[in-house]
Amino acid sequence: MTTFQRHRFTPWLLLAPQLVVIAVFFFWPASQALYQSLYVQDPFGLSATFAGLDNFIQVLVDPEYRRALGVTVVFSASVALLALSVALLLAVLADRVVKGARGYRTLLVWPYAVAPAVAGVLWMFLFDPTLGVLSAMLGTLGVDWNHRLDGGQALALVIIASVWKQVSYNFVFFLAGLQAIPKSLLEAAAIDAAGPWKRFWTITFPLLSPTTFFLLVMNTTYAFFDTFGTIDATTGGGPGGATRTLIYKVFEDGFVGYDLGASAAQSVILMLLVGALTLVQFRYIERKVHY
Amino acid sequence: MATLTLDALNKRYPNGNAALLGIDLSVEDGEMIVIVGPSGCGKSTLLRCLAGLETISEGELKIDGERVNEREPAERDIAMVFQNYALYPHMSVAENMAYALKNRGVPKPAREAKVRETARVLGLEALLDRRPRQLSGGQRQRVAMGRAIVREPKVFLFDEPLSNLDAALRVQMRLEIRRLQKRLGTTAIYVTHDQVEAMTLADRLVVMNAGRVEQIGTPMTLYQRPATRFVAGFIGSPAMNFLPLEQGAAGWRLPGGACLELEGFEGRPSSLGVRPEHLRESDAETALFDVRVELIEPLGADTLAYCRLDGTATPLVVRLDGARQLDEGERLRLDAGIDRLHLFDAEGRRLERRSLDHGRAPLLPLSASL
Repeated sequence: MTTFQRHRFTPWLLLAPQLVVIAVFFFWPASQALYQSLYVQDPFGLSATFAGLDNFIQVLVDPEYRRALGVTVVFSASVALLALSVALLLAVLADRVVKGARGYRTLLVWPYAVAPAVAGVLWMFLFDPTLGVLSAMLGTLGVDWNHRLDGGQALALVIIASVWKQVSYNFVFFLAGLQAIPKSLLEAAAIDAAGPWKRFWTITFPLLSPTTFFLLVMNTTYAFFDTFGTIDATTGGGPGGATRTLIYKVFEDGFVGYDLGASAAQSVILMLLVGALTLVQFRYIERKVHY
Repeated sequence: MATLTLDALNKRYPNGNAALLGIDLSVEDGEMIVIVGPSGCGKSTLLRCLAGLETISEGELKIDGERVNEREPAERDIAMVFQNYALYPHMSVAENMAYALKNRGVPKPAREAKVRETARVLGLEALLDRRPRQLSGGQRQRVAMGRAIVREPKVFLFDEPLSNLDAALRVQMRLEIRRLQKRLGTTAIYVTHDQVEAMTLADRLVVMNAGRVEQIGTPMTLYQRPATRFVAGFIGSPAMNFLPLEQGAAGWRLPGGACLELEGFEGRPSSLGVRPEHLRESDAETALFDVRVELIEPLGADTLAYCRLDGTATPLVVRLDGARQLDEGERLRLDAGIDRLHLFDAEGRRLERRSLDHGRAPLLPLSASL
């Protein structure tokens, strides 16, 4: 205790870098968004008029906004579920590989190092209606692929691109989680007459639940916020807003439409939404997690 | 309730390492077999082959006369208790015990009744709703036992189940395992590296070394007539003393100069073994060993004296009565009965006396010339 009293300022000094980073890059922009959401700016940014909750009301009654919310729900749920299940499948397979395991694992982690915009462009070219390799292959199967016209296909494309980016991240965590499960547990289960499928669902999956829960939270946040680059490079929110998620609409309204007030209001709503979602996940899903 | 037959079992790993070399063993119904050996001798591999967790490279494994080499672990009707217990951490004690029954399609009421009955036998009733992490080491061990018992398998396999417990609990659980196994009459294979555990639990002991069986027999047979020098050194604590023998003009010379006339043995002896507890102090002129005490370990009932043969560096351990006051540096004369001496040839094989039915006639004339 005496040690702490003598060094009263040392803890603050040690915490300072972290606190400064959070303050500058999180609290300050967040408070700015909150401030701007209450004002209407003129198009040149020269003056702002206090508007109360008008920005919020305007946003919430806008049918385009509700449509973006719908797109976001479909998009985020698909990205989170697909990224989790594909990564789990790959991790389970990689966990069984004995020869050259390190090589496979490294290759599977690589996509995470690719910038979101690059990943978006990559998938855009693969599925390009005229040049794309994959769209040509789909054509021979009788699927007429054109994500520039078909909203459903465009949504599928941004989901695929976003999932592909996130799978590597999830894979690393799932693999570590799988390797932390003692082999003797699975052997005991094998003796206890559980087949491979049953063994996975009754032993492996429950023991992975802390990892899965952590990744669910991370993936939801990723789908809500970090997929902007991928969407922008792949479809630009189109066609006709079919891939315009909430985060993309924040960008469009603010930096294309120069409606900073509405954009800030959307930011605030989005922040509250993700906060609430995370809270729900912690309250209801974490109960089923066995640490 | 089953017999178990191992016929020339071999286990080789893909990298060419051989873990088991021609294991033959026949286990009778209800028998408790303890496999003992130093680490790396293949005892755990053997157990895992029996369980079906490792494949068998060659040879045949039969349970109740049926070949089971190719069967999955679940189809062999065995239960295994692991060294780290391998309890499912996300299930309660009751769920842990019911898991195998559930997988085998036992209906819920029957399952619950069985779990309750087993819990009663093991004194686990109060713990049924707890998770493994909330249990002490001894309780976890008990649950692991319960999980094996509740299934009523043909064979129990134990893989060093007591090595994670403290000494007092180990003794208690050892007795309990023995009592349970006798009561249930289930065939059991028990692997350990602890020779006290091995001696006390076994109906028959299997001593393994470097992937081979050195000897199979009752604990007392292995103690009294070890087939090899390895078994002689492994069974018994402290370990048997071994002294090199050299052929001299007057017979076989021991280090220190004593001579033995050894007759009636098949083969050529190269070492003499005598257990510390079989050495007695003697005033006789004919006493075999003249030793100097180097170090004393009083154990209460007994005292262990670490000695060297007089004038040599050859060590000799002797177990004397705890009441005997000893000083370091003291000289002792020690002797052992003729039938307490074990002879081994250069390959470490036991040399038997040619005829055992000579009664009490001295078959091994001794003369000590000191």
